[in-house]
Amino acid sequence: MRARLLVGLLGIVLWALLPHILSRYMIDLLVFTAIYTIAGIGVGLLLGQCGIVNLGQATFYGIGAYSCAYLTVELGYPNVAGFIVGALISMTIALVVGWPVLRLTGYFLALATLALSIIGSSLFYEWDWLTGGELGIGGIPKLDIFGFKLDTPGRYYYLAWSIAFICMLLVGNLIASRTGLMLRAMRDSSEAAASLGIDMQWLRTRVFMLSALLGSVAGSLFAHYVSFTSVQSFTVDKSIGFLLIPVLGGVRSLWGVVLGALFVTVMPELLSRIGDIHQILFGLALVAVVVLLPEGLVGLLATAGRKLGWSRVRA
Amino acid sequence: MTHDRDILVLDQVGHRFGGFTVLRSVTFSVPEGGIVGLIGPNGSGKTTLFNIISGYLALQAGSITYGGRALTTQSVQDRSRAGMVRTFQTPKIFERMTVLENIMVGACKITRTGILQDLVRSPHAQSELRQIRMLAERVGEELGLEGNLPAATLTAGQRRILEIARVLVAQPRLLMLDEPSAGLNHEEMRQLIATIERLNDAGLAILLVSHDMVLMAVAETVHVLNFGEIIARGNMAAIQQNAGVREVYLGI
Amino acid sequence: MSLSLILQAAQAGITNGFIYALVGMGLAVIFRGSRVINVMHGEFSVVGAMVTVLMLTSARYPYWIAILAGVSTGPLIGALIELTLVRPMIRQRATEDQFVLLTIGLERAIAAAVLFFIGRDGYLLPAFGGDHVFIVFDVVIREHALWLIAIATFVVVALREFFRHTTLGLAMTAASIDADGAATTGINVARMRTLTFVLGGLLGAIAGILITPLIAVDYQTGLPITLKGIAAAILGGFTNPLGAVVGGLTLGMVESLVIVGVSSGYKDALTFSVLIVIMIFMPHGILGRGGRGGG
Repeated sequence: MRARLLVGLLGIVLWALLPHILSRYMIDLLVFTAIYTIAGIGVGLLLGQCGIVNLGQATFYGIGAYSCAYLTVELGYPNVAGFIVGALISMTIALVVGWPVLRLTGYFLALATLALSIIGSSLFYEWDWLTGGELGIGGIPKLDIFGFKLDTPGRYYYLAWSIAFICMLLVGNLIASRTGLMLRAMRDSSEAAASLGIDMQWLRTRVFMLSALLGSVAGSLFAHYVSFTSVQSFTVDKSIGFLLIPVLGGVRSLWGVVLGALFVTVMPELLSRIGDIHQILFGLALVAVVVLLPEGLVGLLATAGRKLGWSRVRA
Repeated sequence: MTHDRDILVLDQVGHRFGGFTVLRSVTFSVPEGGIVGLIGPNGSGKTTLFNIISGYLALQAGSITYGGRALTTQSVQDRSRAGMVRTFQTPKIFERMTVLENIMVGACKITRTGILQDLVRSPHAQSELRQIRMLAERVGEELGLEGNLPAATLTAGQRRILEIARVLVAQPRLLMLDEPSAGLNHEEMRQLIATIERLNDAGLAILLVSHDMVLMAVAETVHVLNFGEIIARGNMAAIQQNAGVREVYLGI
Repeated sequence: MSLSLILQAAQAGITNGFIYALVGMGLAVIFRGSRVINVMHGEFSVVGAMVTVLMLTSARYPYWIAILAGVSTGPLIGALIELTLVRPMIRQRATEDQFVLLTIGLERAIAAAVLFFIGRDGYLLPAFGGDHVFIVFDVVIREHALWLIAIATFVVVALREFFRHTTLGLAMTAASIDADGAATTGINVARMRTLTFVLGGLLGAIAGILITPLIAVDYQTGLPITLKGIAAAILGGFTNPLGAVVGGLTLGMVESLVIVGVSSGYKDALTFSVLIVIMIFMPHGILGRGGRGGG
């Protein structure tokens, strides 16, 4: 117990110091890692606890981003408004679309979420009066906390990761709670869960809304970080990317999501030095992980740790 | 033949699949605290009847009364929350959870914590989870189950007991067992019968559906179903003497 | 909106519809045989088309040889995927979501490979019948479109005959309906599954080669093709490959009418909204349960 506390404290100190040690480029990557972690937690929650493949996260990411962009740039509202409106719209759509759609299972559900992503990206493109279409919306103001402007990657790092850690904490609570128990029951045997009085459709819908909320928050953070949004960021590709994060990292572990987000952010950068072949390697990495490492990178680490004699990391 | 103290009453229940009549005017009741058996060869309509009572199939003809109220369109979940619980022919346990967690799921329906409270781990959420765990531990102990084992490692007999533990933890009023003896060896069967008797002694009403005559000895009243109709009723001894039943089962 | 405009749209709808039908059939065949929805199916089309292009332009083979080469890539890739990836996963009792992820990963990898080897450009194949067009009631019909419809129809009929009247086809159907039962009659279920991937790959490659003279194909074309094919298959009830024909034609027509009646920008949004609605309200496709028979 004492050892854990010490490691935790060391970790926090290290985390706090990183922006002062690393290059601006690396910090920038870490900010994106935090943002993708937040979106990835939503997808991971649905996949790991409910067995649902959600290919629609980019739509909510986009709603969060465009809400901020439109409200601050076009309408001049304060920054917070974008976050809140984006979250509300995302959750409403998740409720309205999710309620009927989440009755589906397996492939059909995955396809429906994919269709959602396509519809979303299509509308982002078409409704250029709202989103600026291909040109996008630029000049999104930087965030500031009580006058302290977050206009460098280093400063944004603290905000993004603080929010990411809060999300991890909340979702971790959820997984360990009675709700988490019901989710996993639903995942393992929906028939038995129903016979035990669990209202699955409503439960699934609420988790879907939570996932949408996380996607939206991530999108809002993204908009205020890069100060520019355009449709290319919110396509089906992005949704697939968000799905990769928990898959690669480890679908039942929150730290796995962080690992996955890190992998998805950093790997393409590292590999791009090799040339265009990096995208192939990426796809192959996904295939390899699915076939060989069903527990993701976290599972790999846990196995390695076990072989070295360490006790198992929480999975 | 029905009494005021019946927990479950079926009156002329019928069912068709397309043009094929599976159940024909089935009438029987389960008294509070009693054990009633439904026996019949494969294809007699037992499973269909079971699914209609528990809510997995819609009621087409006749009426079902549970605890004095008519059951019509209530969902599986509604019936479960009203205390009507069931097990499955092939135990459907939660494979990736422990035994204790499996049982805990059974208690989820009696608590009402919302998702928001679970997110922030409110004191209410924590105390409810503690309560669920305690109830589950107690039931698990009573039935001789080891809580920390992964549920996937249980034998067939243990899985049946786990299913029962899971529905027991919410203090049901009617326990419906669907072919509980399928796949059990002698020892497991003995344990199952002992468990059923113990539960019934404590006052739980039990409806037992099976084709197993040995198991049926535990029931007070047995109804024999054949091709969707009840052809005999009485206790096990009388049933076994019944000429019609012998013909159906033994071809004599 | 003039009659000729509608007829033109109808013609486009039917032409596209047959492509969606071919892709949908391939998807349905694979799904029926392995319960896997093959998200990378469009890559069969892209790779088939690209190989044909390469054979034609770089290696300067005659068109028909290039086509043969292109068409054979589909079955080869399909067999490879089934043998090296799907089979071990089935043995490991992988879940549905894991198969979804597998095929997504393959889609990414193959699309990236096409990007790597071919580059970003789109390519067209020479149309059958060259630039010859027919004009009927003010409607312009390219000769290639007629070839496309004819060949696709032939493939559909051939497939139907294959499944109904050949030993192999019946064996494949049996294996997909009831694996255990089929195994007891001596059918090698695993091999049947490999063959469904081979057949699916073949159908995908044919579709790719048929469409490329009309629409330029590039490394990004795979996923949209897959999605349209899935839509067609779902409309057709997914379990019956021939239902995909009805589904594909319906999809093509709806799409064309949307383009003409509303605007081309909304075609995807509307098409996929319709798809979601169909999945929710008519999970057995527009043919209903009756569509399950045959094929």
